[in-house]
Amino acid sequence: MIASIGWHPVAASSDLPTGHVYQTQLEGQALAVWRSAEGEVNVWEDRCPHRGVRFSIGVAVGNELQCQYHAWRFASGSGACTHIPAHPTQKPAAVIRATIFPVIERGGLVWTRVAEDHSEGTVPLVRDGVVMRALPVNRPAATVEAALLAAELTGATFFVQPLAEGQSVIRGIARDEASLRTLDSALERLRRQLEADHAVI
Amino acid sequence: MLLYDNAMLPECYAVRLLSGLLGVELDLKTVDCYPGRQHREEAFLAINPLGTLPVLDTGDAFLRDWLAALVYLAARYDSSARWLPTADAGRLAAVQEWLSIARLLQSSAGAARLHDSIGMATDIERRRREAHDLLRMTEKHLWFGERGGDDWLVAGAEPTIADIALFVHVILSEEGGIARMPYPAVRRWTERLRRLPNFALMGGVFPMPALDASRTLLSETECQAASAQSATH
Amino acid sequence: MDPILWNDWHVVGDTAALLHGETFATALLGVALQIARAEDGSVGIVQSDGVPVLCDVRYGFIWACLGTPMQPIIDVPELAVEDMTAVIGGAVSVHASAGRAIENFLDLGHLGYVHAGYLGAEPETAVASYNVETLPGGGVLVTGCEVFQPNALMDNQGVMIGYSYKVERPLTAWFQKILLDSGTLVTTAYLFAQPVDEDHCVAHTLLLVPGSAYSAADIRGYQQLIFLQDKPILENQNPKRLPIGPRMEIPILADKTSIAYRRWLAQLGVTYGVVREAAGVPA
Repeated sequence: MIASIGWHPVAASSDLPTGHVYQTQLEGQALAVWRSAEGEVNVWEDRCPHRGVRFSIGVAVGNELQCQYHAWRFASGSGACTHIPAHPTQKPAAVIRATIFPVIERGGLVWTRVAEDHSEGTVPLVRDGVVMRALPVNRPAATVEAALLAAELTGATFFVQPLAEGQSVIRGIARDEASLRTLDSALERLRRQLEADHAVI
Repeated sequence: MLLYDNAMLPECYAVRLLSGLLGVELDLKTVDCYPGRQHREEAFLAINPLGTLPVLDTGDAFLRDWLAALVYLAARYDSSARWLPTADAGRLAAVQEWLSIARLLQSSAGAARLHDSIGMATDIERRRREAHDLLRMTEKHLWFGERGGDDWLVAGAEPTIADIALFVHVILSEEGGIARMPYPAVRRWTERLRRLPNFALMGGVFPMPALDASRTLLSETECQAASAQSATH
Repeated sequence: MDPILWNDWHVVGDTAALLHGETFATALLGVALQIARAEDGSVGIVQSDGVPVLCDVRYGFIWACLGTPMQPIIDVPELAVEDMTAVIGGAVSVHASAGRAIENFLDLGHLGYVHAGYLGAEPETAVASYNVETLPGGGVLVTGCEVFQPNALMDNQGVMIGYSYKVERPLTAWFQKILLDSGTLVTTAYLFAQPVDEDHCVAHTLLLVPGSAYSAADIRGYQQLIFLQDKPILENQNPKRLPIGPRMEIPILADKTSIAYRRWLAQLGVTYGVVREAAGVPA
C-alpha cells in the first residue's frame, strides 16, 4: 500500500463516460467528477453556487456541466458559469463559478486534494496495471489501511480514500486483468470482516 | 388496456415505462391511495383483493402484480422478444432471477421510501441495510459487466424487463435515505436506461439528454490516452 | 428556541390521513407529537410526556402551536367562494428545511426544467421582469409573472399563465394562476411547510380549482406528480437549511422573490431551519 500526502484517488478514469457526473467525497468534502467532451477531467465541489443543488444529479453536456435545478451551465476547466436560461441573452457575472479542485490523472485513477494546509503533497508514481473496482467500506480510513496491511494481499497496489467520518473506499491497481476477480473477492471478504466487527446489533 | 395507476408508486411507473418503450397505449385510471385510501374501498377490492397497485386490465384478465404486468406486456407486444427472451432458457432464467431481486428491492428500498415520504410503518434501518446489500451485489455485477462490454443486467445487447423492474426502485432509493454514491456502476446504468428512446419519467426521475451516438462511452484506450495527456500537464 | 416559529400556528396533519379512532406520530420544531382523533372526530395533540399542545382543526388540516399564538390561523378566503373544488394534496415528508420548500414553491426559473412539459418548457425559459413588494403587515407580494405552460390544465394545450405569489407567514406560501388572455382563474394553491426539525419538513398543500371540471383524485394526482418532481431537488440542496445571510448563495434578477423572502425571514429574526453565517461556504 502506498501512502500519499494530501492527494487521494477519488475516481477511476473509466468511471467517467461522456455525459456522466461521478459522485464521491474526500475527507467530508462532497465532490462531482466529470470529463468534458474534449477529455478534460474536472473535480468540483458538488454544489451549484446558485441554490446549493448537488452537481452530481446534473449532466455533462459537451464541455459544460448543467445543474439540474435551473440548468445553469459551467465551463470545464475554469468552473465559470457560461449560461443562465432565466436570462438567456445576458452574460453571467464573472463571480458565478463552481469551486474547483486540482486534478491529476495517473495510473488510470483521478487524483485530487481538498486539504486546506498548503503543504506540497505529491501523487505517487504508480506501476501500470488494471484499475480495480472501488470498494466502499463503512469503516474509518485508518482502520481500513491497517486491515489492508495486515491482510498482506499481493498482486496489487492499494489506496484508501477517506470519504467522510467512518467511511472509506478501497481503490487498487492490479498487476493484471486475470487477478481482478480474485482480488475483488478478497477485498469483499476483508470488508465483511471489518463491518461485522462493528455491526449494528 | 386500462391501468389502475398512481403517480407516487414506482410499481405503477414500471408498467407505464415499459408500455412507453414498447409503444403500447394505456388508458390510465388514477386510484387515490394516498391520502384518499381508495385502494381500500370495496370498489377497488373487488378488482384486486390484495388492495395493491397497479392493476392492469388486459381485457381478458386483471393482472394484480406489477411484475406480471411487465411479463404480459413484453410477451404480448414485443415481437422481437428483446424485453423478455422467451426462446433463450439461460437469459430467461436470468431475467427471472433479477425480477426476484426487484421484488426484494420493493420490500426494502420501496418500503424505506414510503416510510420516509408518507410515514408508512416499517423497521427503517433494517430496510435500508437490506437495500444496501442488494445494491452492493448489483454494483459488482454491473461493474464486471461493463468491463465485459455488457450494458444491462442480463448479458446481451439489449435491456430486458429486469432492467425496468430494478430501475424504478433504484432510481428512487434516495427518497428512502439509501444513497447511491457507493454504487457508481449502478448510477451509470440508470443513465444508460434513461437515454433510451421513448423513456418515460415519473416525478423524482430526471431526464437524460440524448448523447451524440459517436461518443457514447469512452473506450479504455481513449481513457488511457486522455489520462496520459492530462498527467503531462 | 426561535420565538417567531414557536409562537406561530403550523399544520401538522390532515384529517383525511387520520381516520376516527386513530393516532399518528409527527414532530414540530423538534418536539415529538402524538395526534389522536377520537371516535367523535375531535382531535387532541400531546407531547411525549403527555403535556397537551394547543391545537385546532381547520380547512381539513390539523394545526398546532407550541407556544402562545401571536396571530390567528391564516385566513383562506378562497374556501368561501362558491363552486370551488378544494383538494388537500396529501402530506409528503421531505429531507430539507421548510424554508427550502417554501422558496422552491415561489421559484419561477425551475419550471421549464424540473417541471418540463407541465409547467414550463425549453426554449421558453427566460424569466421576464416581475414586481415584488412588501405587504403592509410584513411579508412578500409578487405580481406580474408571465409564464408559458405546456400542460397547465391537464389537457396538453399550451397557455400563457399569470402568476401572483404571497408569503404572509414565514412557512406558508400562496400562489394564484390565471389565464393571461382572459384573466380566468385556474388554480389557487397554498403550501404549508411543517418544520419537523431544522433539516426536515412535511409539505402540506391545499389546492382550490374553480368549478368541477376536474375530479379531486385527478387534481391530487397532478399535484403529487408536480411535487415529486421538486422533491429530489430539495433533498439534494446543501445546506439543508435555508441560507439567509449575505453572499451565501448567488441570486440573479429572476430570484427577486427568493431574495425578498430570505431578507424578510432575516428581518423577522427567524433562526430555526436557516443559516445566517457562511461557515464553510466559499464567499
